[in-house]
Amino acid sequence: MKSHSVYLHIPFCRHLCSYCDFNTYAGLEEHIPAYIQALCTEIEFVAEYCEQQIPVHTIFIGGGTPSILPVREFGKIFQTISRVFDIQEHVEITIEANPGRLSYGYLKSLRDLGINRLSLGMQSAIPEELRLLDRQHDNYRTEKAVNDARRAGFGNINLDLIFGIPDQTPLSWQMTMDLALSLNPDHFSLYSLSIEPGTPLNDWLGEGLISEPDSDIAAEMYELAEARLHEHGYQQYEISNWARKGDGLGLMSCQHNLQYWRNLPYLGFGAGAHGYAGENRTVNVSRPDRYIEKLLSSEVDSSQNDISYPSTPATTRVTVISQAEEIKETMMMGLRLTGEGISRREFHSRFGTSLEEVYGGEIEELLGLGLLEWDQVTSERLRLTPKGRLLGNQVFQRFI
Amino acid sequence: MTDRIRNFCIVAHIDHGKSTLADRLLQLTDTIADRDMMEQVLDSMDLEREKGVTIKASAVRMMYTARDGLNYELNLIDTPGHVDFGYEVSRALEACEGAILVVDASQGVEAQTLANLYLALEADLEIIPVINKIDLTSARPDEVAEEIESLLGVAAEEIIQISAKEGLNVEEILEAVIEKVPPPLINNEAPLRALIFDSHYDAYKGVVAYIRLVEGKISPEDQMHLMASGAVFKPVEVGVFMPHLQPVDQLEAGEVGYVATGLKTVRECRVGDTLTSAIEPAAKALPGYLKAKPMVFAGIYPVEGEDYGNLKDALEKLQLNDASLVYQLETSQALNFGYRCGFLGMFHMEIIQERLEREYDLDIIVTTPSVEYEVVLNDGGVKRIDSPAELPSEGDILEIREPWMRIEIFTPTEFYGTVMELVKKRRGIFVEQDYPTPNRVQLIFELPLAELIIDFFDQLKSRTRGYASLDYHFIEYRSDDLVKLEILVNNESVDALAMIIHRDNAYRKGQALISKLKDLIPRQLFAVPIQAYASGRVISRANVKALRKDVLAKCYGGDVSRKRKLLEKQKKGKKRMKMVGNVEIPQEAFFAVLRLEGD
Repeated sequence: MKSHSVYLHIPFCRHLCSYCDFNTYAGLEEHIPAYIQALCTEIEFVAEYCEQQIPVHTIFIGGGTPSILPVREFGKIFQTISRVFDIQEHVEITIEANPGRLSYGYLKSLRDLGINRLSLGMQSAIPEELRLLDRQHDNYRTEKAVNDARRAGFGNINLDLIFGIPDQTPLSWQMTMDLALSLNPDHFSLYSLSIEPGTPLNDWLGEGLISEPDSDIAAEMYELAEARLHEHGYQQYEISNWARKGDGLGLMSCQHNLQYWRNLPYLGFGAGAHGYAGENRTVNVSRPDRYIEKLLSSEVDSSQNDISYPSTPATTRVTVISQAEEIKETMMMGLRLTGEGISRREFHSRFGTSLEEVYGGEIEELLGLGLLEWDQVTSERLRLTPKGRLLGNQVFQRFI
Repeated sequence: MTDRIRNFCIVAHIDHGKSTLADRLLQLTDTIADRDMMEQVLDSMDLEREKGVTIKASAVRMMYTARDGLNYELNLIDTPGHVDFGYEVSRALEACEGAILVVDASQGVEAQTLANLYLALEADLEIIPVINKIDLTSARPDEVAEEIESLLGVAAEEIIQISAKEGLNVEEILEAVIEKVPPPLINNEAPLRALIFDSHYDAYKGVVAYIRLVEGKISPEDQMHLMASGAVFKPVEVGVFMPHLQPVDQLEAGEVGYVATGLKTVRECRVGDTLTSAIEPAAKALPGYLKAKPMVFAGIYPVEGEDYGNLKDALEKLQLNDASLVYQLETSQALNFGYRCGFLGMFHMEIIQERLEREYDLDIIVTTPSVEYEVVLNDGGVKRIDSPAELPSEGDILEIREPWMRIEIFTPTEFYGTVMELVKKRRGIFVEQDYPTPNRVQLIFELPLAELIIDFFDQLKSRTRGYASLDYHFIEYRSDDLVKLEILVNNESVDALAMIIHRDNAYRKGQALISKLKDLIPRQLFAVPIQAYASGRVISRANVKALRKDVLAKCYGGDVSRKRKLLEKQKKGKKRMKMVGNVEIPQEAFFAVLRLEGD
């Protein structure tokens, strides 16, 4: 059986940031114990589909704010996971955290539980920008979180940064980059801000309180970051992701996210979580209270008969992915990988047909437009050109 | 029995409540049971209901026992409620002896109140004025009654005040119809002459002609003849509107009903034509027949080339029911294959466009509307063109003539200045003014149709906060100093963006159009120059910058579907654009010119 990734969604926050449209809720913390119980039930439910234990090589605890959970709740989760899944030897276990409220003791406990990768939402080093994003931390907190994490034994730390913030300038972005680089993280995720409907930021935009970020300036910031990160020895491997070389072990790229980009199977647990396994894409019910109800109410057993792997009682939608759609999604996700791109050989062995046969015309056009290229050494891998990285949608569209 | 027949119609300005009143009359006479009552039965098209206007005339027979204890047959003939359909209105009025003139109690008399009133008076109808919507808090029925009094000479206190919505006083109208509207004059012995005042196409019965028998009788066995179109047929069925089609054995002079002709196109059975017997034909047709003449033209193109066949089918189907829609094949360099369509007016064009999009689910591009020009060439020849692309080169042209209209604007006097200014900007000529009611002025102008069809009505509405109303009629062709304005995108002339304008406006319009297009044409993978060009020189230019950044951020929690949907949406948006050369141009760009007048 192919090795799987596991995503665990923690939909709780103390406070919602102004740009956030993720599936998360403030003020529902009292539901946490029941939620974790439901989460464990869901994990067991999926494990029971299979006769042998599903091999798992990455676990990602995302949110929301996972670091809102008491350590004992993580204990319950890991107990369940390690009981029902076949955890691989070099498993990568990531947790997302806000720098604001982390303590050394808490981080140490997480590390002791086996969590080995920490992803910190630093977002910006500029107080005005942090205030606009409505983040609850400052630079002191970020620095302290990184230092405490190192002390606690985290050998793999990521910093999330946001660019294209209203009124952000290339200079302020450079200051953010400089501060972030001085913290020596192992990995960077740089996201261009997109203002989503239903967020406070979108309301403010509508009321004319803030101005729409200029996409040309965002492009400039992206190129600036590319250059800075390259200077500092970070290597880009995905449109928004850079990693440094580990101790003789190659790039410290995020193995969990690579699973998505390579369009390989993952199981999603928790409210609103997405999964992809056995030709099915699944989506869980969004609201935590409904999620708890669906998993912990007594009707669970009766509804078991007519659902298929990897659905659970919390699943609200299952989409069967045909091979034709799998091909599209493989292209759309795989081309985000700026280094490895789409391998001709792997494509053929996965789909039984050649890349050119399916997409000859599109590839030709995009090569002509200077958005795609074959790797220079072997001409085996199709990937975005530096120009194409900023125009990814123009490329992906042609494959779906 | 025929002295118990009353044929009447309801005329009103748009939104003054004509359809609601018709509904109430149907309920009151038990023509339609309350439980079957759809709002506004007479307007059977969704689009009409949405736009709040009546597009197709219709008719219904109601049986009513009056206060005098006698039973009457009341034929209500509905008239189209828009300025583009003036001819159809006049034919429907011709089928009646009386008209209920509905005036909104808060809006008062408007342009089409007047226009329709004059049409009704021309048709010699007995007018029954009614003030509607007296339930509204903004109602000022007494003032409106005075307006009507000064207009018609009917004593203000005799005018019936109703609320069709609440059903208030509606019965008074029926009594007034019986008392005041004369019964039809009858001659059953003369050869058959019946006026066609509307029609619709039915897949089984062919064209169903709505008729008013003027003289003679009609039975389903008779061979029939249409005097203008020359069509001869034996009817499938003859009947009356109950309001569903109810076959009868015979219709007599004075009555209103229908003949299912079995004919395949409404063009063979046009409004205004005279129906007579093929065996014993009348000597003369009824007066007033006109062939509908399109005044406004535009190209309609499928966004996707492969939809061309579907567009053709859809236009064919629409034409089944709409004799005034004309179309012919047209090819455009920029847009490939499509149809040049002719419409009665702007409103007619909008309806067709919406029906193609909604009922036939077509993605279409409608090019900037044009009028029909007469181009006199140096060699003395005259060429008629309805598309700027057909304009011969400037050196070959002696003069260009364009259609002029007489327009009547009815507005509160406070907007006098702004209306004058608008008309002047549009090359209009003031003719006269009149104050038919206090605080309201009727302004008469002459104006080129080309200026009228581009955003004039919207401008008029916004300048007068919606209070002004408009009516117009063709007068004649006049010559003027007109030139072709061409638009070059990425150094290629886009024929579908060209327009014919007055030389004095070329510079201003060229600049306005370029700055509009600059905003509307999305950034492409390369920089795109756009230029406006007239009389051999570039009068404005701009650059659409190359696209630099277009990429989605992270896919959180493995939500691949969301990402894919966003891309699919983006791709679909792209598909709705037209590739001209290697530039993607969105549909809005093709009617950017419609929104040029920021004035």
